[in-house]
Amino acid sequence: MSRLRKEFLKGIIISNPVFVLALGLCPALAISISIDNALGMSMGVAIVLLGSNIMVATLRKIVPNAVRIPVFIVIIASFVTIIDLLFQAYFPPLHQSLGIYLPLIVVNCIVLGRAEAFASKNPIFDSIADALGIAIGFMLALLLVSFIRQMLGTGMLTVFGKELLRLPGLASHPMALFVLPPGAFLVIALLLALFRRMGVLKNE
Amino acid sequence: MKSALSNYARPILFLTLVVFIAVSVLSLTYQATKDTIEEQQDAKIKSTLQELFPALDTYEYQDSLYTIYSQDDTIGYAFLTSGKGYGGNIDIMVGIENETTLKGILIISQQETPGLGNRITEDWFTSSFAGLSLSDVFLKKDGGAIDGITGATISSRAVVDAVREAAMEKIKAIPERTQAKAGDLE
Repeated sequence: MSRLRKEFLKGIIISNPVFVLALGLCPALAISISIDNALGMSMGVAIVLLGSNIMVATLRKIVPNAVRIPVFIVIIASFVTIIDLLFQAYFPPLHQSLGIYLPLIVVNCIVLGRAEAFASKNPIFDSIADALGIAIGFMLALLLVSFIRQMLGTGMLTVFGKELLRLPGLASHPMALFVLPPGAFLVIALLLALFRRMGVLKNE
Repeated sequence: MKSALSNYARPILFLTLVVFIAVSVLSLTYQATKDTIEEQQDAKIKSTLQELFPALDTYEYQDSLYTIYSQDDTIGYAFLTSGKGYGGNIDIMVGIENETTLKGILIISQQETPGLGNRITEDWFTSSFAGLSLSDVFLKKDGGAIDGITGATISSRAVVDAVREAAMEKIKAIPERTQAKAGDLE
């Protein structure tokens, strides 16, 4: 049990996909302009990651080595397409705001990375713990980046259309740079540096 | 010899099988969600039209023009158009009362910069189109009646231009449609 807990917890900080492994930066940079997007994106990634880790771990002993990667990609692409259709049917506004980044989960290196590096070598339950940990780590990273960008870039915090917080002064003169692409690079670079400074990387 | 063959055959068969299963699962999902997705899209259009025309009872869609009925009277027309914004296409539902007057507009989807361009979705901006005559649909700085958004001229102008140009185009189709309808009744 403690082994599962270890696999689960490592994804959150020690090998946080965004800040430590530096994987999945493309969606992290692109969609981290609002908390809504961060939640929707990490939900999509979590479901795909969980599904693909389970499938890959189940098939790991019978997949011929030569076609390993194509098989993983087919599994991942199927899950992504299913998620895309389900979001379109049941969460249309979220589907709209994630736009192209939802189908692009298929090329998110976190998902293939975990399939190849972990699920193809470990039993199912370890792979589930790994998927959940990494997914939560990804979600926390996206939430942190989105929170900073939304606060500085618009001066307010809105979640699903509800205004939770408004910074006086900043709301009327927001630092729009932070919701633009350069802001994404700045915020993520500073957070990466911070994680490094705090010595999170020491154990790697 | 036999093992060499199975060395080649096994990966091929395995991958084919995986793809076959994946395709079956996907087509099942597609079938299962198809109707809901269509319903969602219809519901979205209906609620958008209702927001533009609160008196709407039914509507009819033909040649990319929505004709809006309240009881049996035609109270206006609506159509979808899109403008080229700063971050991509801006899809707009435009309502017109008659050949010269706008009823209102709603932004359906956009990818403009949050805090700047995406303020085109705010009420004060979209409601400033209501009741305007088509010849006034320009930004104030271009001699029209609409306040642009500070710092987001491209987005504001994209909306204004798309609405005006599409409306000019669409009103040409209206008189014919009305006549055709009257002809049907005879």
